[in-house]
Amino acid sequence: MTALDTALPGSTRTVTRAEVEDFLFAEAALLDAQRYEEWLGLFVEGGRFEIPTTDAGDTPASQGGYFVCDDWDLLRARVKRLRSRKAHAENPASLTHRMIANVRLLERDGDELSVAANFLVHRARDGHTNAFPGRYAHRLLVTEDGLRFRLRRSVLALERLEAGARLSFIL
Amino acid sequence: MTSPSPHPAPDAAAPLVVQDWERLSFRVHRRAYRDADLFAAERARIWERTWLYLGHETELGPNDFKVRTLGGRPLIFTRDAKGELHAFLNSCPHRGTVLCRETQGTSKHFNCFYHAWAFHNTGEVAAIPDPSAYADEEYKASMRLREVARLEVFEGFVFVSFTDDVPPLVDHLGPAADYMRMIGEQHVAGMEVLPGTQLYGVRGNWKLAVENAMDGYHFSPTHNTFVGYLRESGFAVDDDDQYAYNLGNGHSLLILTGHGGRISMLWEPRFGEDERVRTAEHRREMEQRLGSERAHLVADESHILFVFPNLLLFDLEGLSIRQLEPVAPGHTDVRAWQLAPRGEDPAVRDLRMRTMVSFVGPGGLATPDDIEAYEAVQRGIEATAGDGRAELDYSDMSRGMADDGTGRRGRSTDEGAMRGFWRHWATVVGAGGPVDVGTPPAGHPEPTPLPSKRPHGLDEILAGLETGNEVAAR
Repeated sequence: MTALDTALPGSTRTVTRAEVEDFLFAEAALLDAQRYEEWLGLFVEGGRFEIPTTDAGDTPASQGGYFVCDDWDLLRARVKRLRSRKAHAENPASLTHRMIANVRLLERDGDELSVAANFLVHRARDGHTNAFPGRYAHRLLVTEDGLRFRLRRSVLALERLEAGARLSFIL
Repeated sequence: MTSPSPHPAPDAAAPLVVQDWERLSFRVHRRAYRDADLFAAERARIWERTWLYLGHETELGPNDFKVRTLGGRPLIFTRDAKGELHAFLNSCPHRGTVLCRETQGTSKHFNCFYHAWAFHNTGEVAAIPDPSAYADEEYKASMRLREVARLEVFEGFVFVSFTDDVPPLVDHLGPAADYMRMIGEQHVAGMEVLPGTQLYGVRGNWKLAVENAMDGYHFSPTHNTFVGYLRESGFAVDDDDQYAYNLGNGHSLLILTGHGGRISMLWEPRFGEDERVRTAEHRREMEQRLGSERAHLVADESHILFVFPNLLLFDLEGLSIRQLEPVAPGHTDVRAWQLAPRGEDPAVRDLRMRTMVSFVGPGGLATPDDIEAYEAVQRGIEATAGDGRAELDYSDMSRGMADDGTGRRGRSTDEGAMRGFWRHWATVVGAGGPVDVGTPPAGHPEPTPLPSKRPHGLDEILAGLETGNEVAAR
């Protein structure tokens, strides 16, 4: 994972909030439709996906409890799993519905853009609905023709995962 | 529909656990998973009378605290300035207010906001506003924080009991103790719990989580996608020649040799080349420190250890601690922590986190399918609740029952470890133990003899158990 973005050159071009919003909205639509292969295409090779535990604060993924700390290999394994009939926790798939708001461009460092947003994901399955509020803390690679996730990080605004609220889908 | 219950009252006459020695069948009545009266009996006869796992001593530095709930009771787990551990009831002695409303932190005092009573983290009263209205100083001192009846630490694992009437912790643990000791022996610097608790709820009875952990039969079908991932990473999973052991007192153990891959102890390709070198160095250190036989036991076998009633230790690629807290018949809260060597190389720590989290926890590649199984069982067993054909309302755990009582160890892919758990449960929950049909074998079904290369001292412990009170009482 050291030669991260050799295949995908970065850019220092200007990015607007509208572009980031379009990117996040399009991502949400892919996930709600379970189009996982296309979703994986939103990452740079070597990208990561993290969900810290509800009490972890800013503990780095290498040092503490996480619900998800996928490197590129694990992320691909997760997508492969979700496409399988044998991913029992997601067969049948959860019904998800995502709202994204409060999108902010936080910091720009060369070709990398840090963005924050609030999300509210509702997930229905087995006769129950769970709500997952939280915020995104993503690091995006800016390219000439779009944005890609270097780090896709979902931070739950919950004290705990309530009963039935396992993270078998992509949050 | 005036009844709050979705199904008719359980048939209290139907035996809870039936072992038929002629048909070699072992059946558990499904009301054990859904009946509110049995849940209350479990609270009273298990959770109020047995050692319970509270937490790990490395979670707390001086004056740190964590709040936990055990058997429905809110607790404060804290370490005072002198280093002593306490488990206080998280309830003001005055009027019962929850005293500590934070989930964790550092404080020398606990202050009740309601009437501003204050307590030192040793439990002593620090201040009561306007104390002159109380009889005397002695009365004031009697208002110290209420502690659990017993607290003992074994190898860093902190257990509490709500009654004085329990044996010493190490006696309760029995042969499980040595498997806990082995965890501390893995690394010369010892182990520590990492920050960040996986705290989640499942819509299933707590005993389904115990069964699942002791069930090697489910691994291939339930974790088909995870096994596929392991195979692709150059690691073959093998369920042959692996065994399950009943350790007495409701404890049980799976020893897994075909799931290899133990970070810093047993290398596999997905861990990478640097880790291969580190693993070899660490093994040399272990052999010097522990001797080669003990080093083999500590390093080369994966263990899933269940310590009755609420602790699961997953000593696999890495080490994960899981604590079960029953909330209702169909609802269990789970807390899980990663236990890792102190001062571990950052590269290994990173590998450990990715590897363990990829498997365990509600966002991993495997545990969600286990949770799906508990939840699907909990929903599915409503199908037979109250059915006039009473024999339908039983779950079957007969696999490999021909081994029970013969002294043969059962395969990990059989259901012997579950049977040991249920036999103990049926005894302690007040059901009078399992009901026998036919003649039980001469040899008692438990404890199972452990492998020939036993940990040190285990022969003596087992010899004690075989003549001990629990077995003699049956």
